[in-house]
Amino acid sequence: MEIYLPIAEMSVHWLIILALGTAVGLVSGMFGISGGFLLTPILIFYGIPSPIAVATTASHMTASSMSGAIAQWRKRAIDFKMAAVMLAGGFAGTGVGVWWFALMRAKGQTDLVVSVSYVVLLGVIGGIMLNESVRALRAARAGTVEPARRGGQHNWIHGLPFKMRFRDSRLYISVIPPLALGFFVGVLSAVMGVGGGFMLVPAMIYLLRMPTNVVVGTSLVQILCVTAATTILQSVNNYSVDIVLALVLIVGGVIGAQFGTRLATRLRGEQLRLILALLILGVALRLLYGLIATPDDLYSLQVSTP
Amino acid sequence: MTRSILAAMLVVLAASGARADDLVSGLSQDQIQITSSYTGTDIVVFGAIQSADPSAASGDHDIVVVVRGPGAEMVVRRKVRVAGVWINRDAMTLSGLPAYYFVASNRPLKDIAIDETRERYQLGLETLEPLSESTHSPAKAEPFRLAAIRERAREGLYRETPTAVEFLSYSLFRVRVPVPATVPRGEYTAEVYLFRDGSVISAQTTPLYVDQAGLERKVFSFAHGEPLLYGLAAVLMALLLGWLASVVFRQPG
Repeated sequence: MEIYLPIAEMSVHWLIILALGTAVGLVSGMFGISGGFLLTPILIFYGIPSPIAVATTASHMTASSMSGAIAQWRKRAIDFKMAAVMLAGGFAGTGVGVWWFALMRAKGQTDLVVSVSYVVLLGVIGGIMLNESVRALRAARAGTVEPARRGGQHNWIHGLPFKMRFRDSRLYISVIPPLALGFFVGVLSAVMGVGGGFMLVPAMIYLLRMPTNVVVGTSLVQILCVTAATTILQSVNNYSVDIVLALVLIVGGVIGAQFGTRLATRLRGEQLRLILALLILGVALRLLYGLIATPDDLYSLQVSTP
Repeated sequence: MTRSILAAMLVVLAASGARADDLVSGLSQDQIQITSSYTGTDIVVFGAIQSADPSAASGDHDIVVVVRGPGAEMVVRRKVRVAGVWINRDAMTLSGLPAYYFVASNRPLKDIAIDETRERYQLGLETLEPLSESTHSPAKAEPFRLAAIRERAREGLYRETPTAVEFLSYSLFRVRVPVPATVPRGEYTAEVYLFRDGSVISAQTTPLYVDQAGLERKVFSFAHGEPLLYGLAAVLMALLLGWLASVVFRQPG
């Protein structure tokens, strides 16, 4: 069964796209991430032009973070004040990212920019996670317990000016780190089509020292708003959101996410992180191969019909 | 479909008067509508040769059929290895090359006509030239032109089939033209050339329209006409589906 995508101007098997959406939804449900870093490269491998893959993945993540954010909101596990500060940075970052993306597209460097940012980011994150989860697994086997981090520790972040009180996070810190974090993730969302949850969550825990119970909900609100803004900006600047593709991906994604959440309860945290780390490194290696392997044809073509 | 084409061919034949070596031709359909189930299609170009001298051998005639898409702007880029990574370096813009090009004949084009003739009518993939005068030297531009043709051929959008023209009788011919799913919208032309002794003695051009239809057309013009509303609609759809999912799959407790 094939379906014609009006913006990508190509036809795809809708069952394959639904299955891709479900698989990514499964992963995102399992690990509590939006899964954009997997979906965008998979769509590109499938043959969807990279600008459309990046922009459409953003709307897919809007849907998945919406359902996640509602669940967290019911548990009152969202720090809206922190989310608002991060969003101020996030919207600015999205604007800069979309503008930069349009510039790179005009210069024909989209594929390079997307691939290089993925390889660097996924390589670093995957490496850190692999290292951390292997150490945790070894420690668990040896019967020792990793020392837990104590709250209230001070680091360089506490020396920054413009402090603000975040009651739900029980924090009194400068607004600069959350603004900068939001900005950085906003740029990533626009350029790479990722939600950035896999970076936000650790940064909020280790850098901002937010309590773990509000981290996931707050990052989901941030992702929800940033990906929604990305979807609109990409539509306006690049005409690259394919709503038919998004619909099929979202339907698959929300179903997969439900099974993923249930599957996650049966696995141990370290095992889960090990699997995710290997997944991330696998994607990074595949993209790296694409960058350094000699292409079949040194020439490439970009066609526009008036 | 085959039956209706044959009927149409008979009508075409009956309607045409006897003139000096002449050509009549038609298309199985004069427009292609891209709908949600569109996965590419075939159109049939058919026609008949009318010989002024019925006793002349049919072997002297050659038929070349060309289907040409709207002109496109193509940017060809060449990758260069920099620090181990392949990046796009040199770029050249070629405008006026057709977005789609199909040529079929009853025998290899080189045997039908000399290079100059084929270049004048742009018959054959290697004869396709961009419209604009390039500021680059021909020697530098040539690999880019060839690369564009090669890439379009790989995507199935440029095609040369030297023996695809079928003669059903001494004068009746037809050719099946595959139109892949990725063809762009626009005005196409189907050209039929009748050759005798290496020169064109008759030619006919028929327009063919390719357009999105139904919902696809609406979505496309919405996205390009009202991009802000379109983006908002995409976000609204995502929010609704996300909310729906959280309601449907709400965990008890």
